[in-house]
Amino acid sequence: MKRIISVLACVLLMASVAVAASPKDTFVFESYGTVRTLDPACAYDVVSHQRIMNIYESLIFFDGSATDKFGPVLATEVPSVENGGIRDDGKTYEFKIRKGVKFHNGNDLTAEDVAYSIKRHMIVDQEGGPMWMMLEAVAGVSSTRKDGKIIDGIFEQIDKSVEVKGDSVIIHLPRPFPPLLAVLAYSYGGVILDKEWTIANGGWDGTVKNAANFNGPGFGSEPLLKIANGTGPYKMLKWTPSNEFIFKRSKNYWGEKPELETAIIRYNKEWSSRKLALQNGDADRVTVDAQYLSEVQDMDNVKLFSVPQLSVTGAMFCQKINPEANPNIGSGKLDGEGIPPNFFSDINVRKAFLHAFDRQMYIEDVWNDNVTIPTTPNAKGLPYYKEEPVYEYDLEKAAEFMKKAWGGKVWDKGFKMVLTHNTGNAQREAAALMIAENIMSLNPKFQIEVRNVDWKDYTVGYRKFMYPLFIIGWGADFPDPDNFLTTFMASTGPYGKFMAYKNDEVDKLAKYARFEIDPEKRRDAYFRMQDLWFEDAPGLILYQKVDHFAYRSNIDGFIPNPMLDHEWENLKLLKKN
Amino acid sequence: MTAYIIRRLLFLVFVLFGVSILIFGLLSTFSPERRAAAYVTSPKQAENIPLIIQEYGLDKPFYVQYGKWVQQVAKGNLGWSLVAARPVAEAFWTYFPTTLELNLLASPLVIIVGIWLGTMSGVHRDSFFDHSTRIAAIVGWSLPTFLFALILLMVFYGYLDMFSPGILSNKLSLWVANHPDEFVRYTGMYTFDGLLNGRLDITLNALRHLVLPVITQVIVVVALLMRVMRSGMIEEMNKDYVITAKAKGADFKTIYKKHAKKNALIPVITVAGQLVALSMEGSIAVEVVFSRQGMGWWLAESATQLDMPVLMSVCMFVGLVFVTSNLIIDIMYAYVDPRIRLH
Repeated sequence: MKRIISVLACVLLMASVAVAASPKDTFVFESYGTVRTLDPACAYDVVSHQRIMNIYESLIFFDGSATDKFGPVLATEVPSVENGGIRDDGKTYEFKIRKGVKFHNGNDLTAEDVAYSIKRHMIVDQEGGPMWMMLEAVAGVSSTRKDGKIIDGIFEQIDKSVEVKGDSVIIHLPRPFPPLLAVLAYSYGGVILDKEWTIANGGWDGTVKNAANFNGPGFGSEPLLKIANGTGPYKMLKWTPSNEFIFKRSKNYWGEKPELETAIIRYNKEWSSRKLALQNGDADRVTVDAQYLSEVQDMDNVKLFSVPQLSVTGAMFCQKINPEANPNIGSGKLDGEGIPPNFFSDINVRKAFLHAFDRQMYIEDVWNDNVTIPTTPNAKGLPYYKEEPVYEYDLEKAAEFMKKAWGGKVWDKGFKMVLTHNTGNAQREAAALMIAENIMSLNPKFQIEVRNVDWKDYTVGYRKFMYPLFIIGWGADFPDPDNFLTTFMASTGPYGKFMAYKNDEVDKLAKYARFEIDPEKRRDAYFRMQDLWFEDAPGLILYQKVDHFAYRSNIDGFIPNPMLDHEWENLKLLKKN
Repeated sequence: MTAYIIRRLLFLVFVLFGVSILIFGLLSTFSPERRAAAYVTSPKQAENIPLIIQEYGLDKPFYVQYGKWVQQVAKGNLGWSLVAARPVAEAFWTYFPTTLELNLLASPLVIIVGIWLGTMSGVHRDSFFDHSTRIAAIVGWSLPTFLFALILLMVFYGYLDMFSPGILSNKLSLWVANHPDEFVRYTGMYTFDGLLNGRLDITLNALRHLVLPVITQVIVVVALLMRVMRSGMIEEMNKDYVITAKAKGADFKTIYKKHAKKNALIPVITVAGQLVALSMEGSIAVEVVFSRQGMGWWLAESATQLDMPVLMSVCMFVGLVFVTSNLIIDIMYAYVDPRIRLH
């Protein structure tokens, strides 16, 4: 036994010899996001997006911190009406392709690669994937399939919409689509592949007649899932799922040589462990969630950036709650023991709830003054944001509206309901509790129980109209009001339809503004929609997400952008002193 | 003995069938929408839940879905792990070596330390040593693993900067990634692969990253084994044959080492076998705190995200491990106690 202990002690002593922190030419980032796929046609999450956008490139990208201005990347200039790149009343976009660009495998970038890539992404169109954006622009539909079957002629239409002309690629749209450049700037549709390499690795073979064979691959069946060959500054050296992703600087890169040779993005779910890694210099950056912000603010040798994101969270009233076996509405009647399914269809109830939310206290106590609350779903930083009036915190007014609601029955009989939020989100929980307590303080007959639900269950629940009021967020697919106002307000929008909110004027404006190219007319339409958000009070905007980027102080080069969240890192900009 | 082993291995098939039906049945109690939500990472993708249900046949009757799964498994396809973004079989060989590596170091220590401490406590009953180890055992057993692991991390990494979490240092990780031809991953365990590739520095570095996880695992688990061994020793030391041996003037060490200890080992073998089998599922707390994603992390993430193919496969694997470990325990009984015969 003594011998075993001695041997073990020796090994431990030798093993405990300290090893240098992160190497000088390597950037180490510890986070908890996991990569789903590296196939640009299928990736629809920010973590995969980050990996993809450091390996591949798009034609254009956001210019610094701007979300409405772009800079050329693989295109030599950003198309505009002025330079003739956008013409035919916004139905034709021409991109002149950069010469002298090589893929990581040494192949040259050609206009043919660009056209192939744009078409290929739409042809793949995985179920639940991001290609609905490009398809809406290019084909006027949100999917290549309807009722599980491929739409007749859809691949021919995609093929004809993208053409190569000399060194240029031209995209023809059936009708103007103002957010197209924003869609192409992000990874959703604009990432450029090497045609030859993609075909050799099982990707679409480039022929329309075989396109159906490459359409809608199941999860895990996408051919470029774990391989990558882009034109970007870094190539993938190694990817061990949920462990580490290692980038290595590409020797073929056409642009300015990035300073860092390698980058390791390591999975580390535990905050204490991430914090210590940052403190000890083993990590150059870690992901910091809002609740841990104070632990980093005063840390030595660390600098912190707080960046408001194009991501809005709100409490949405459901005006047509599902009455079937629904414990969230009690008796399902206005008898003091529940609420009727259409409880929130009375605007007085909605306004009473809005007056019961103390914005100031929420900002100060829950967010420590480190949050922005937009007045409408159109996040601050998006074009055409309009500061609307708010239903200020006033319990007397809340009581007045409650007394008017349902002809006075609500006040007389009282009600019981359940208010839900998804598990693990302290800020949403705080909002739910605040609303519930303030409403209950109006009348002892008002009873609201606050419950948390696992996020996946929550996703299913609100889609089944199970929650009288659901708290949910939306992050930008592309930086355009259409992506927010239509989502929250249109009766067919991803949230609008589950709120059962319908206003014909809103629906008409949403449809019109999406395709309107005149900026002033677009602005007027979106301004009116935001007015209607205030007038109709269909929901309550709680906060605009703020992400925190904590770097070691020797790291420079970070440029904040509201479109790029805390999983994002633009490696080529970083410098390590 | 051989017939017994073959019979038990045949029995394994029925156990696995039973486990698969049970787990599949339990998972099927979730609505198709909830199971389809496993494929959804954002509210935007939730739009496609009905299409996902259709594509994967999640609304089909239980027997149809189960039959489809069995068919695929028979072809060697265990399915796709959403959590790992890999086929289940491939992901298994990513995570299992991490868990195995930890257990290969921790389990022998648990057994050696547990038996030794238990024996000493039992033999020197009510001594200072006995009281100290009993208190340590109670503390070790009752302390939440997560908390204990965090305390170790704070002290040894936070203050002393000695043992960092993870599997390998940044520098060596990069070296391995840059030299895939020079460093072959024979086992998926850096401690062993370092030796097999003649890179002692990698083995030592991997060991350095294992120190805190192993200590946590040993301290938390050893208490149970120690208690069982102590009780066994006390019981045996009071038996007639020990009194007779003492009366005959036999040496005290010979009495407890040669006679009593061997008899006290029977219940210890059962407990140790179960503990080792259980540890193959991995420890969520150890893996999360020390950032070593293994079976525990994978299973926990899969359970939260309802990653069905993983849950099915890992539960089958656990069934396999338990049946095999019970078989080994039975064989060891016969070895330790010659009165036991396996038929």
